[in-house]
Amino acid sequence: MAFIKIENLFKRFGRTVAVNHIYLEVKKGEILTLLGPSGCGKTTTLRCIAGLEKPDEGDVLIDGQPMFSQGFVPPSQRGIGMVFQNYAVWPHLRVFDNVAYGLKLQKLPREEIKERVKTILAAVGLEGLEGRYPGQLSGGQQQRVSLARALVRNPKVLLLDEPLSNLDAKLREKMRFEIKSIVRRMNITSVYVTHDQAEAMVLSDRIAVMDAGNIVQVGAPEEIYKRPANRFVADFVGTTNFIAGEVSDILKEGNRVYVRTEFGQRMLCKVFDSTMAVTGQKVHVSIRPEDIEIAEDTAPKGDNLFRGRIEHRAYLGNFLYFFVNVDHTLIRVQTAYDVPQREGDELFLFLDPEKCVALL
Amino acid sequence: MSRGHLLLSALLWAVVALFVIYPLSFLMVESFKIAGTSRYGLQNYIDFFKDTYYLKTFANTLLLGFLVLATTTLFGLPLAYILARYRLKGKVLFTALILLPIVLPAYAGAFALIVLFGKMGTINLLLLDWGVVSKPVNFIFGLHGLVFIQSLHLLPFIVLSLSAGFTNIDPSLEEAAEVEGARGFKRFLTVSLPLCSPNYLAGAVIVFLWPFTDWLTPLIFGLQDFLPSTAYINIAYHFTDMHRKYMGIVSVVISSIVCVGIFLASKYWVERRKYTALSKGTTLEGRIIEPSIVIRVASYAYMFFIGLLVLLIPIVLGLSAFSRRWVLQPIPSYWTLDNFRLIFLETPMLLKNSFLFSVVALIFGVCFGLPSAYLITRTKVPGKEALDFVITLMLAFPGIAVGVSYLLAFWEGIPLATHWIIMPLSLFVRRLPYFLRMAHASYLQLDVSLEEASEVSGAGKLRTFFNISLPLLLKGVFVGLVMFFIMAFQEISTAIFLYRGGWETLPIGIYLNWHRGMEFGIAGAMAFLMIVIIFILLIIVARIGGGILGAAWGSSGGRY
Repeated sequence: MAFIKIENLFKRFGRTVAVNHIYLEVKKGEILTLLGPSGCGKTTTLRCIAGLEKPDEGDVLIDGQPMFSQGFVPPSQRGIGMVFQNYAVWPHLRVFDNVAYGLKLQKLPREEIKERVKTILAAVGLEGLEGRYPGQLSGGQQQRVSLARALVRNPKVLLLDEPLSNLDAKLREKMRFEIKSIVRRMNITSVYVTHDQAEAMVLSDRIAVMDAGNIVQVGAPEEIYKRPANRFVADFVGTTNFIAGEVSDILKEGNRVYVRTEFGQRMLCKVFDSTMAVTGQKVHVSIRPEDIEIAEDTAPKGDNLFRGRIEHRAYLGNFLYFFVNVDHTLIRVQTAYDVPQREGDELFLFLDPEKCVALL
Repeated sequence: MSRGHLLLSALLWAVVALFVIYPLSFLMVESFKIAGTSRYGLQNYIDFFKDTYYLKTFANTLLLGFLVLATTTLFGLPLAYILARYRLKGKVLFTALILLPIVLPAYAGAFALIVLFGKMGTINLLLLDWGVVSKPVNFIFGLHGLVFIQSLHLLPFIVLSLSAGFTNIDPSLEEAAEVEGARGFKRFLTVSLPLCSPNYLAGAVIVFLWPFTDWLTPLIFGLQDFLPSTAYINIAYHFTDMHRKYMGIVSVVISSIVCVGIFLASKYWVERRKYTALSKGTTLEGRIIEPSIVIRVASYAYMFFIGLLVLLIPIVLGLSAFSRRWVLQPIPSYWTLDNFRLIFLETPMLLKNSFLFSVVALIFGVCFGLPSAYLITRTKVPGKEALDFVITLMLAFPGIAVGVSYLLAFWEGIPLATHWIIMPLSLFVRRLPYFLRMAHASYLQLDVSLEEASEVSGAGKLRTFFNISLPLLLKGVFVGLVMFFIMAFQEISTAIFLYRGGWETLPIGIYLNWHRGMEFGIAGAMAFLMIVIIFILLIIVARIGGGILGAAWGSSGGRY
C-alpha cells in the first residue's frame, strides 16, 4: 500500500528543470532512497514532500491526503520529521531544548516531554548530553541530535537529506547501520536522499535512481545492481566496464544476443529490454570487475574469452585490480590479492555471459 | 617572528601611544585637578555624584539612549526582516537610500526638521492656514523631537546589523523549525530572532551610546541637560571658571567610561554567544522567501514610509539651498543660486579645508591601518592583541572625549594644536578603527597560501605585500578608503574644539551659519553640497562592494 504518492511532480528554477514530471510511491514502513548525482533533483523532490518547496505541477499525497492540490499543507501540518544535510541543530538551544522544541509547540505536559526526550536521546546514544550546547558537540553527535529531534514526535514520515555527507568515512559507515536499525525499530516510512551508492545499498528497501530530473529506475538494491536499466544506472551504482559494440546475432533461447565488440570479437550477453534485440543495434555491454575471471588455461576455447596484457596492477589490500588491455580497450578486473601475475604479463579473461548486460 | 615585524609593531605602538594613550590619559589626569589649587583629588567626581543637576543630566542621557534604542528597534526590526527575507524589486536601491542618514551629519538633519516641523515651520504654517489649529503645535522642540531625529539618524545601524544577522542564518535552521511545527511569528520568535542577537547587540550598542557623544543636536532643540551637551558648555564657555571646566572634563570622562564599559560588556557577551559555524555550503544570500501579495504590498508601503522620512531631510535642505529668506512660508518663494556663489566664490576655504583635512586624515589612516591589519592578521608579534584592543576601543570613545583631550594635551602639553595638522590628526584618531576593520576583514578573506606561494617563489615579505596582497586587498581597501573619507568629511564633534580662524570645514561652516541665526540658506546649501558629495561616494562604494560594508559597522558575525 502506497503511503506516500508522488504524482506528476514538476518543478523548475528559472530555466532549469529540477524535477521533470515524476511518479513515485513509497510503501508504509519502507525505507526508500532517492539516489543520484548532485543536481539530479533528488533534494528538490524531498523538499516537495516536506513542503519546503512548492512544485509547479503535480501533487504529493501522504497517507492519502493531497499536500498541494487541495490547498497547500505547510510543513508543520504534515506530520513529518526531517534530518537536514547540515544538521540544522539550533546553536542557541541546548540539546534538550532542540529535541523538545516540537513537543513544546504541541503543548504537551512537561513530564511527558521530559520522558520522551530522555527515551529518544537514549535511542540515539546521547544520554547525559541534554545540557550541552551544539557548539560543544562533535559533528556525529550533532547529527544524532538532529535525528532525535526528527523522531521524537513519532512522525508518520521521516525525511533524510544527505544526513551523513558531512561526517568522516568511518563514522558515516557506522551511522548507516544505526539509522537503519532505529528507523526499522520505530517502523517509520522514510525517504532518504543520498549521492553515495554504498549508503543507498546498505540502508534501503528500495532505491529510486534519478538523473537530470527523471527517475530512471526503481527497485531493490540487488535488482538495481544486477539489472541496471541503462548505462547511467550501471555506471552510477557500483563500478563497471563498458564495452561498445553492435548486436550481430540474436539467439532463440532466452534473451541473449551476440555483440560484435569494438575490438572486433564476438561477445555473448544478456538483454533485459527486448526492443534492443535487433541486429545492428548499437549497445554498450556492462560487466562488473568482480564478474570477470582470469582463465588458468593457456589457450582456452569458448565464448567471451579474450586475450590481453596487464597494463596496471593496483593493490587494495583485500583484493587486486588489473587494468587489462584487450586490443586497446582497457578492462578493469577484480581478482584475489594473491594471484601471481605482474604488470606486462599476458593472460586470458573470461567475461561470464550470464553477467554481461547489453545496455543502450 | 622577524625583526621587521617587531620594528613595525614598535612604530605602530608609538603612534598609538602619542596620539591615543597620551591625550586620553592627559584628560584623565586633568579631571582630578582641583580648581584654584595645584592639588589633585577625587573632589570633582564627588561633586559630580553629589550634584543633583549632574545626576539628572546623567539619567537624562541614559533615558535618551533607551528611548532611541527602543524606537529604532521597533521601526528597524520589520524593515530588516523585509530586506533580508523577501524577494522584492528595488531592494538594493532602497538599501542605499536608508544608508543616507548615517553619512549625513545628524545636526544637518536637525536643522532641516526645524524648518519643516518647527513652530513656524512648513507643517505648522499649513495647519494654521487651513484652520486646523489656532496656534502652532510643538512637534519637535523637546525630548520627543530629540528622540525622533536621533532615531532617524541611527535607524540604519539597527537595520544593517539586523538584516546582516537574518541573512547569515542558515536557511535550514528556519526550515527545521517549520518542519517541527513552528509557523510564522512563532518561528521568528524562537529561532530567527535569538540567532540574530549577537548582530543586534553590535548595532544596539552604537545606537545606545550615541546620546553620550552627540552634544550638538540637543542644543539645537533647546535642550542642554544631557551629559555631552553640559560638558561642551562647561568646557567651551567657562574657561574662566576652572571648577566648571573640570566638571565638564569629569562629565566627558564619565561618558567615556560608560561608553567603553557598555561596549566591552557587549563585546564579551557576543564573544560568548557567538554560535560556532556548523554548516557549510549554504547560499550566500541567505533565505529568500517569495512574499504573498498582502505581504508584498505591506512591505512596499512600509519601505515607502521609511524612505519618505529619510528623504525629508535632503528635500528640505535642497529647497533651502536654492532659495533665500525662507521665513514664514510653507515653501520658499525666492529662488536663487546665491548661496552656492557664496560658498564657491567667497568662502572656498571651507570646501578646501574639508577636502584637505579629510584627505590628509585618510593618508594617516592608510599608513596606519594597512600595516596594523597585516600585523594583527598575519604575524605572531607579542602584544598584537593589545594593539587590536586599543584600536577597537576607539569605536566606543565619544568624539567629544577625543576633541577635549586633544585640546588639552596638544595645547597645554605638546604644542601641536597651533598647526593645522591637528585637524586631520584628530579626524584620523577619531575614526581609527574604521579603516583597520575593513582592511582586517579583507585580510581575513585573503587565503594566506597565496602569500606563501609568493614567498616560496623567492619574494621577500615587503615585495609579497606590494605584488600579491595589496592588489588582492584593493577592493576592500578602496571601500574602506571611501567610507573613512565620508566619516572624516562629516565630522564635527571633535573638530569643533580644535578649529581656529581659517581652519573651518564645511560641517563647522554649517554650524556657524546656523549659530548666527539668519543664514539658513547658506547652511542649507552647504549641507546639500555635502549630501551630494557623500551620495556620489556612497554610490561608488555600493557599486564596488556592498558586502564589505557590513564589516564597517561591527555587525559582521560568523555564519551559523
